[in-house]
Amino acid sequence: MLWCCLFPLLVLLVGGLTTPVIGFLSRKIGKEKIRDAWAVLAFAITTAYFLYIISNGNLPITCKIKLEPEWASVGIKIDAFSAYLSLIFSFLGLMVSIYSVGYMEKETGLDEYYTLLLTLVAGMVGVTMVDDLFTLYVMWELMCISSYTLVSFRKYRWEAVEAGFKYLVMSTIGSLIALYSISLLYGITGTLNFSELSQLILSNLASIPRDTLYYIIAMIIAGFGVTAAIVPFHTWLPDAHPAAPSSISAMLSGVVIKTGAFAIFKILFTVFYPTKFYYGSILILFGLLTMTVANIMVILQRDVKRFLAYSSIANMGYIILALGVSTYIAYNHPTELGAVSLALLGGLFHILNHAIGKGLLFLGAGCFIHEAKTRDLTKLEGIGVKMPISAASFSVGLLNLAGVPPLSGFWSKFFIVMAMLAFPADPFLYASTIVFIVNMFIAAGYYVWLLERISLRSPSEHLAKITEAKLSMVIPVLILAILCILITIFIDPVVEIIAEPVSVLVGSTVSNIKISLILGGV
Amino acid sequence: MMYLQIFYANIAIVLILVGLYCIASKRNLLKIIIGIEIITVGVNLNILTMGLHKADYVDPLAQEMTIISIAIGAAVAAIALSILINVYRHYKTLDTRKLRRLRW
Repeated sequence: MLWCCLFPLLVLLVGGLTTPVIGFLSRKIGKEKIRDAWAVLAFAITTAYFLYIISNGNLPITCKIKLEPEWASVGIKIDAFSAYLSLIFSFLGLMVSIYSVGYMEKETGLDEYYTLLLTLVAGMVGVTMVDDLFTLYVMWELMCISSYTLVSFRKYRWEAVEAGFKYLVMSTIGSLIALYSISLLYGITGTLNFSELSQLILSNLASIPRDTLYYIIAMIIAGFGVTAAIVPFHTWLPDAHPAAPSSISAMLSGVVIKTGAFAIFKILFTVFYPTKFYYGSILILFGLLTMTVANIMVILQRDVKRFLAYSSIANMGYIILALGVSTYIAYNHPTELGAVSLALLGGLFHILNHAIGKGLLFLGAGCFIHEAKTRDLTKLEGIGVKMPISAASFSVGLLNLAGVPPLSGFWSKFFIVMAMLAFPADPFLYASTIVFIVNMFIAAGYYVWLLERISLRSPSEHLAKITEAKLSMVIPVLILAILCILITIFIDPVVEIIAEPVSVLVGSTVSNIKISLILGGV
Repeated sequence: MMYLQIFYANIAIVLILVGLYCIASKRNLLKIIIGIEIITVGVNLNILTMGLHKADYVDPLAQEMTIISIAIGAAVAAIALSILINVYRHYKTLDTRKLRRLRW
């Protein structure tokens, strides 16, 4: 059982550590692509493992390394929530590694690049699988250190170096604040295991001073919120994401910031029960602030990657809002488990939609930038005529994130709105719904604006020599675009899969959430 | 024992605040990295302090956590210093005021 649990982490870490050796050997025989294939293989094995785990349905899988004194035991637990997120992480890693074969061809230091990409995904998968808070911190730092290095990977550019330093300083302060709050939790309870922590806090709720627990909650939201790009702590993101290579931007925007959201979700739902602690409204306010500020800032951008980076912040706002709505309803209306799970379902579904959609957008933008050698939106006008496959996929991603009704990006936001509108007598929720819907319309507006600029205009003369990107770059973009459409077609089974992690978080089985039923209730 | 724990916990808070002040006010990138290190030291001290309440010795879990945390802090410092060297190569200075080419 132990090896079954540790298998994905081992594959990623061993793959990462052996990549330089494989790179050295493959350079000896003159076929450098073997090293790239090695990294792709590691990601493919991990993705297949998580697909198998989810389809097998035998969750949670737990294993504990039992050592003689009880405190030294370390556990790993793969439940439906972690398997779902790990599948997204490793799948996007697979797409990015295939894309990098063509995209990073001209760069040097590719051995380190693939090693860092593998350890980045290993850290993210580890964060979702661990069973105690300190191991979570260790995995978190594994992820963070890899992403600092990847952001400043093109160290010959001033932008990458400066953005990498800014990211490092802000993110390190955030993780240290989170570690401080973890140490306080340890001081209060004497344990760091998730299930023991929740039991101890619930049973000693009267004797522990409430203020201390609220300080800890605030530090956890602030600490992990730096990586999740909640608005007062978001300033690293629009610098770091454009400065990284496009493949890494897809990774960072698609999944790394989701890991911050995951940590907040997991700690708040398993340690601080939302029915006992009141933090829903502040999370709703943070979510609304995040999406409003980001949506206004997007409109001012003329750099395609900064544009996409700001829209990532807005989408993190939606996810934080979904979390806030579910905890708010859980505190104020504890019996309404349906609405709580509907909001969580929307949030988790939006994590999937945004990971695939934003991965697609950054990889597609990377194709444009790689061919046109510019990031300026005015110079990229009409590039879609020259690169039809990438631009068509890019447009599907834009429409998906804009929330055009048949596509899945619409449904995730629709679930959140439905959960918020379940309590029409609550003025706070009602007002937040209005702000949320206005933001959705602004977002749809600028996505369609970008679509018109990229795909529908006639190209200017300096784009005359451009042709479609390499096959290894087009294939992942195309796969992601097809996946966007496939999720839309098979939305009922997908929602059933996401209902499993929701029931893990809520603590009771969520049955019969189907699109048809939700529509029937309107 | 209780007084000792409160004493060390307060020193940890002071160290964290000193580190935050250092990061917020200093203009030199090297001093910013030193500020991060001061925060790391404060947090590590706090972990040890929180292990103090068990008995008259520090809980082994806290010691283990501190050692791993020190190792992680060293890794972060190494990455920070290597980025700092590259900053110096580009700008020939470590002054943050000369570095603000990124727009907000």
